[in-house]
Amino acid sequence: MVTAIDFQLTAPALILTLGALLVLLAEVTVKSEKLRNGITFLSLLAAFIAPICCGKAFTTGATAFGGFIYGDSFAWLANMMITGGSLMAFVLGFRSLDTQKIQSKGEYYSLLLMSIVGALVLVTARELILLFVGLEIMSIALYTLSAFNLWSSRSSEAGLKYFLMGSMFSAIFLYGIALLYGLSGSLMIPDVANWVVTDGASAGVLLLIALGFVFVGFAFKIGLAPFHFWVPDVYQGAPTVVTAFMACVIKSAAVLVALRGMWVIFGEPTMMAQWADLLWVVAALTMTVGNLIALRQRGLKRMLAYSSISHAGYMAVALLAPGINGGAAIIFYLVAYMVMTFGAFAVVMTVAETAKEGEEGDSIERFNGLGLKYPMVGILMTIFMFSLAGLPPGFAGFLGKFYVFSAAVEANYIGLVIIGVINSAISCYYYLRVLVAMYFTKGEPAPLNMKAPAYAVMVVCAILAVFLGLFPGRLHNVGSDAIDAIKVPVGVITK
Amino acid sequence: MVQGIQDFFGNHLLSAITFAPLVGALWLYLVPAGRHDSVYRGMAILWSLLTLGLSILALFAFQSESAALQLVESVDWLPQLGVKYGMAVDGVSLILVLLTTCLMPLVMIASVSVHDKLRGYLAHMLHHESAMIGTLCATDALVFYIFWELMLFPMYFLIGIWGGQRRIYATVKFVLYTVAGSVLLLAGLLYVVYQHADQTGQVTFAIADLIATKFSLNEELWLFAACAIAFGIKVPLFPFHTWLPDAHVEAPTGGSVVLAGVLLKMGLYGFYRIGFPLFPNGAMVFAPYLALLAVIGIIYGALVAWAQGDIKKLVAYSSVSHLGYCVLGFVALNTISVSGSIYQMLNHGVSTGALFLLVGVLYDRRHTRAISEYGGLASKVPVFAFLFLVFTLSSIALPLTNGFVGEFLILNGSFQVFPVLTSVAVLGVILGAVYMLTLYMKTCFGELDEKKNGDLEDVKAHELMTLIPLLVAVFVMGIYPKPIMKLYEPTLKTYISQIEERRATSIANSESAPKTVALSETKVVKGNKS
Repeated sequence: MVTAIDFQLTAPALILTLGALLVLLAEVTVKSEKLRNGITFLSLLAAFIAPICCGKAFTTGATAFGGFIYGDSFAWLANMMITGGSLMAFVLGFRSLDTQKIQSKGEYYSLLLMSIVGALVLVTARELILLFVGLEIMSIALYTLSAFNLWSSRSSEAGLKYFLMGSMFSAIFLYGIALLYGLSGSLMIPDVANWVVTDGASAGVLLLIALGFVFVGFAFKIGLAPFHFWVPDVYQGAPTVVTAFMACVIKSAAVLVALRGMWVIFGEPTMMAQWADLLWVVAALTMTVGNLIALRQRGLKRMLAYSSISHAGYMAVALLAPGINGGAAIIFYLVAYMVMTFGAFAVVMTVAETAKEGEEGDSIERFNGLGLKYPMVGILMTIFMFSLAGLPPGFAGFLGKFYVFSAAVEANYIGLVIIGVINSAISCYYYLRVLVAMYFTKGEPAPLNMKAPAYAVMVVCAILAVFLGLFPGRLHNVGSDAIDAIKVPVGVITK
Repeated sequence: MVQGIQDFFGNHLLSAITFAPLVGALWLYLVPAGRHDSVYRGMAILWSLLTLGLSILALFAFQSESAALQLVESVDWLPQLGVKYGMAVDGVSLILVLLTTCLMPLVMIASVSVHDKLRGYLAHMLHHESAMIGTLCATDALVFYIFWELMLFPMYFLIGIWGGQRRIYATVKFVLYTVAGSVLLLAGLLYVVYQHADQTGQVTFAIADLIATKFSLNEELWLFAACAIAFGIKVPLFPFHTWLPDAHVEAPTGGSVVLAGVLLKMGLYGFYRIGFPLFPNGAMVFAPYLALLAVIGIIYGALVAWAQGDIKKLVAYSSVSHLGYCVLGFVALNTISVSGSIYQMLNHGVSTGALFLLVGVLYDRRHTRAISEYGGLASKVPVFAFLFLVFTLSSIALPLTNGFVGEFLILNGSFQVFPVLTSVAVLGVILGAVYMLTLYMKTCFGELDEKKNGDLEDVKAHELMTLIPLLVAVFVMGIYPKPIMKLYEPTLKTYISQIEERRATSIANSESAPKTVALSETKVVKGNKS
C-alpha cells in the first residue's frame, strides 16, 4: 500500500526524475535556454528543500515502498548532502558550460539530474538489487558526462576508460550481491545483516568472497587504492564542472553507501575482524599513493584528483572504527571535503578558462602571481588549500582530520594514525605549492573572467570551510544521529 | 553598560588579548586600499599598543604569589569529544605573553623599512601575534595545537612575500619542518586523551586533567619522543635546526625579530606545558640526551656563527647557540636552572631582537649584510655603534646586562645535574664572546675603508624608537631582575615539585622501573641538596 509517507521519503529522487524528463522534453520542443536552466534549478532546489520540509517523516525511522527504501535520519542526511552538493555543481556550471565545451546542454542537464537520482537511490536503498540499480543509473549517466567534451580526446578517453573499468567493477559488485543472496536467501540489507550475525560462520569462505567482491565494488567507486587508477585520468579528462561533481557528490554517495553497506552487513565484531586488516592496508596505501603521486603533478586537476584519492584514504581510516564517533567523523570529513574540493575546483575552473586553444588550462604556472593581482581569489584559494592540507585557518579540513584520527585512536589504530598524520604533512608540500605560485612567484596571470555563479560557489565554500571548523558541533550531532539510526551491529566501539 | 564591559574584560581578558590583534588584522583589510602607508602603520601600532595595554591589565590582575593558573576561561567547544575552549595563564606563560605584546609595537614601528604591500605585512604580523598569544594561554590540548599550527600561516607569508632572495626555499622548508614535527604531536595527544578516557571514563582534552594519565615507561618514551620532535624542531634543537638560519636570513627584519623574539620560545614552552608535565618519566630518560643535543647546539651554533660572512646569518646561528642554553637549563629541571632558562628566553628576545633590528638598519641603507662590506662604522655612525656595542655585550652576557643573569643561573643550576655537559657549555660563553666581538671589531672598528659607507646615515628617530626600549630593558633586566623573576618563580617551584612528586609516585608504583630512570633520579636529588 503506497502512502504519503512513501512519497515524502523519496521526494528528492522523484522530483529530480521529473526534472530530468522535463528537461529532455523541453530540449526537443521549446529549446529555450531559460526554461532548461529554470527547470533544472528549480528541481534541484525543490529536491534540496524537500527533505527539510519532510524532516518529520525521517525521524520515525520508517521505510518507503514496502521496505525497499530507507527513511531514517541517515537517509535524510545523505539526501541533504547529495542534493546540496548537486545544487553547488549546478551553480558552478551555470554560465560556464560554453567555456567548458559542453554543447548539448539539454542532455547535459538531464544526465546530471539522472545521475543525482541514481546517487540518491544508491544511498537510500534498503534492498541490494535496488542499490545496484541506483549505482548503475548514477554510473551510466556519469560515463556519458565524462565524455561530454566532444572535441577533446582526453574527455573521450576518460569516458571510455571509466565505462570499461566501471562496468567490470559493477559486475564484480553484482556477483558479490548474488553470493550474499544465495547464502542468506534475502536481498534486504537488514535481513542479510541478521543472517551474517547469526549464521554467517556456517558459510565459511563463500561469505568472505562475497565480502571481498562487495568491498572491491565500493572501493572502486570511492577510488581507494589499488582500485584508484581510473580517478586521475577521468578527473583530468572530464569537463571541470563534471570533475567537481564527481569528486564531491559522487564520491560522497559512494562513501555513504559503503559506510552503511559495509558496517551494517559486515560490521559485527567477529566479521569486522576478518576485513579490518585488509581495510587497514587499503587505507594506508590509499593515503600514501595519493599523496606521493600528487607531489609530482604540474596540472592542478590531476593534483586534485590524487588529493581526492588521499582524502578517501583518510575517510577509510575512520571506516575502521564502526560506531558513533567513527561514523560522525566520516560524515564531518565528507562535508568538509566537499566544501573545500568544490571551492578549489571552482578556482581551478575559473583560471583554466583563461587558457587559449591548445594550452593546458590547469597547469600550475597559470597561477603565478594570481594572488597579488586578484586578492579575493587568492584569499579564497588560500583557505581551500590550507583546509585541504588540514592546517588552520582551514578549520574544516583540520577538524575533519582531527575527528577521523581521534576515532581511529579510540579504536586503537595508532599505527595507521601515524601513517595518516605523516601523510598529512607530506600533503602540505603540494597544497602549499599552489600558494607559492600564487603569492611568491612573479608572473603576469591572464585576466580572469569572474562569473558571479562560480564566484558565489567559492565564497560560500570558503565561509563554510572556516565556520564548519569553528562551530562543528551541530554537524557532528547530525552525523552522530545519522549513524545512530543505521544501527551498526557493534553499537558501541570495541577495542 | 560600563559594568557589562568590566565584567566582559574581567572574565575574558585573555581572549581579549588573544583576539585583539586578529580583529586589528581584519580591520586593516577593511580600510580601503591605496591610503598612505603611515595610515596602515599607525593603525597596526595602535592595535598592538592596545594589546599591550590589555596584557598589562592582565599583569595587574595576576597574583604572582600564587602558582595556580589564573584568569581562567572555559567554554564548551566540541562537547562530544570533551574539548573546551580553555584559556588561562601562569607566571611563565604570562611573562612570555608580555614579551610578545611588548615586542610587537616595536616590530610594527620597524615596518617603516617595508615598502611593498605594507597592509598585508602588518595584517599578517597582527595575525601572528594572535596565534602566539593563543598558544601561550591555551589550557586545552586541542586549542593549544590549533594555535600552534595557526602560527605557521602568517609566518609562511611573511617570509614568502617579504623575504629575501631564497625566500621560497626558506619558507617552504620552515613550514614543512614544523608541520612534520607537529603532526606526530597530534597523534601523541590523541593517544594520551584516549588512554585517559580508558582509565577514568572521561574524554577530555584539558591539559590539567590529562596530567593524571598513567603510562607504562615504554609508552612515555614514545610519547615524549613525539613531543620532543615537535618542540625540538621549533626551538630549534640540533640537529633539527637547519630551517632556522634559512628562515632568519630570508625573513624581513620584523619577521626575524618575531621569529627570534617569540616563536622559538614556543618550542620550550611546549616542553614546559605539555612534554614534561605529561610524560615526566619519559622526559627524565630523555633529559640527558636533550641536554647533550643542547650543548652540541651551543658549541656548534657558536662555531658556525664564528665562520659566517653574513651578519644576519651570524646572529641566526647565535640564536641556535643561545637557545641551547635555554634547553640545557630547562631539562636540568631545578628551580635555579629553569628560572634562568626562562629568563634567558626573555633576554634572547630582547638582545637578539635588537641585533636583528640593527642588522635591518644597516641593510636598509646598504642593501648588503656581508661583514666584509663594513668596517670602521664607529667613526661614521657613532649612535649605531654604541647601540650595537650594548646589544653585543648583552648577547655575550656581560655582567650588568640581562644576558649575564640568565646564563649564570642556567650554568649554575645545570652544573648540579649535568656537571660534564655544563662544563662544555661554558666554552660556548667564550666562543660567544669570540664571534660577537669579532663581528663588532670587523664592522665598527678600524678604518672606514669602504667608500659606500662614507655617506652612511646614523640611526633615525623611528629606529631609535624601536631600539631605546630594548636598550632600557637590557639594563633593567640586568641590574634588577627580581620583579620579573618574582612573577614566575612561585609557578616554577610548584611546577618542579609536582613533576618530581609524580615521578616518585609512578616509580614507587612500578617496581620494574628501569635503571636509567633511577639513575637520573638520584642525580637530581643530589643536585638539589648541594
